[in-house]
Amino acid sequence: MPTVRETSHLRSAAVAARVGRWLGICFGIAFLTGLVSHYAQNPSQPIPFPTNPSWGYRLTQGLHVTAGIACIPLLLVKLWSVLPLLVRGLPADWAGRARDGAERASIAVLVSASVFLLVTGLLNSTQWYPWDFSFRRSHYALAWIATGALLLHLAVKLPTIREALGRDVDDTALDRPEAVVRGGLSRRGLLRSTWVAAGLAVLATAGSTVPWLRRVSVLGVRSGDGPGGVPVNRTAAAAGVEESASSPAYRLVVGYAGTTVSLTRDDLLAMPQRSEELPIACVEGWSASAVWTGVRLRDLLDLVDAPRGAEVVVTSLQERGAFRATLLQGNFADDDRTLVALALSGEPLDLDHGYPARLIAPNRPGVLQTKWLSRLEAVT
Amino acid sequence: MSPGRAVLGSAGVLLAAYGAWLLLSRQDLSGNLDVALWLAGGVLVHDVLLGSVVIVVSLLATRLLPAVARPAAGAGLVVLGSLTVLAVPFLGGFGRENAPDNPTLLDRDYTAGYLALVATVIIVVVLPVLLHSLRARRDQR
Repeated sequence: MPTVRETSHLRSAAVAARVGRWLGICFGIAFLTGLVSHYAQNPSQPIPFPTNPSWGYRLTQGLHVTAGIACIPLLLVKLWSVLPLLVRGLPADWAGRARDGAERASIAVLVSASVFLLVTGLLNSTQWYPWDFSFRRSHYALAWIATGALLLHLAVKLPTIREALGRDVDDTALDRPEAVVRGGLSRRGLLRSTWVAAGLAVLATAGSTVPWLRRVSVLGVRSGDGPGGVPVNRTAAAAGVEESASSPAYRLVVGYAGTTVSLTRDDLLAMPQRSEELPIACVEGWSASAVWTGVRLRDLLDLVDAPRGAEVVVTSLQERGAFRATLLQGNFADDDRTLVALALSGEPLDLDHGYPARLIAPNRPGVLQTKWLSRLEAVT
Repeated sequence: MSPGRAVLGSAGVLLAAYGAWLLLSRQDLSGNLDVALWLAGGVLVHDVLLGSVVIVVSLLATRLLPAVARPAAGAGLVVLGSLTVLAVPFLGGFGRENAPDNPTLLDRDYTAGYLALVATVIIVVVLPVLLHSLRARRDQR
């Protein structure tokens, strides 16, 4: 019989380093794409966020959520493989105890921050918010904390990682003496199962943003259906705009330096109509490409003689919400593909997609593609 | 410690400190207390709840399963266990309560999809491991 302290031979540096390598890669992808997303949503952009390629944000945010999903099986196996270290004895000398304590504290930060990021990210993608904190702020701050703790962990473990990756996976030289219990999977079998789990997690969810995976993505947060073939993130009812958006008194006000014009939806429809195929990509990871038709934003700004390069404060009919008013940077305002959309996939815009008029610009986070437009104010 | 490791470690401490400052300076106390609760709760749920489930399932598997079936059971536990954790918010459909008027959110039959996923894993992952161990045992004879 194994003694109480004995544990599986799978719980080894050989396994932890190999799973940790992929976990580190996926965390790195999620961190960098997360920074892109945060920057894209930042009203103040010292270097303007580019309008090209139009599918750039779709790609980075799809990668962000997909890399995070892949981390779920990887983190579970990684934590399982190092669990005995949590209950190991303390070194005898005080200096050793201090070092050991500091390392455990940094690991505690790394583990709690990692679990926090994966759990809140997953729940946010399904729009489940059983907490009182700000998701965006907390997820962003914890990403820096987790990345910092990860770099510190790498610095501490680098010699062990190098040695483990340099040896055969079945080499026992780096094993703790207690890790001797055999019987289940081989180490190669455990690693293969872990890669399969991560791959299936990606396949099961990525269809929300990769159309040809839709049929296999049984855990996709969106199937891709919706009015005009595009899913809806926030409905008109949830935004409280059903009445104001369908009112005959609706006007879109365009202003610059005291000059304003007030346009009905019919006025907008009487202007030259342009069609652009542009993706809409949500921060929650799903995206869809579609043909939007409407008036070029630049044509509207010309009605009030707004100069090129002017930024536009875009306001929605919504009365509440963090994205009721957003700032459209000059390069987006001047881009020929940026439209005040009136139709989607050849049908009049659905109320839930922003009827009577919405903004659609290339390479812009979905939360900033303002629906139910009420005012466009150019500012210099 | 080599200079490279010292730089890496110091960069890590700086990044984490920046994150802590972001957290504390951009959110009020009650929001941050909730963050602390979720940070601690996440570790507890993982280490205590998930950890105990894994230990109990592993113990049962080693007691009840013949040796030849254990590798397949291990592979199944890794793949199905982690996919089940991922599936919880979908199977529960909790996000729908937050947006009851949005038919495009969580618009699949997740129970059927999850069961199909389980069946696929058994065919693609568990059966090959089982066949491999059966063949290895036969060759040993």
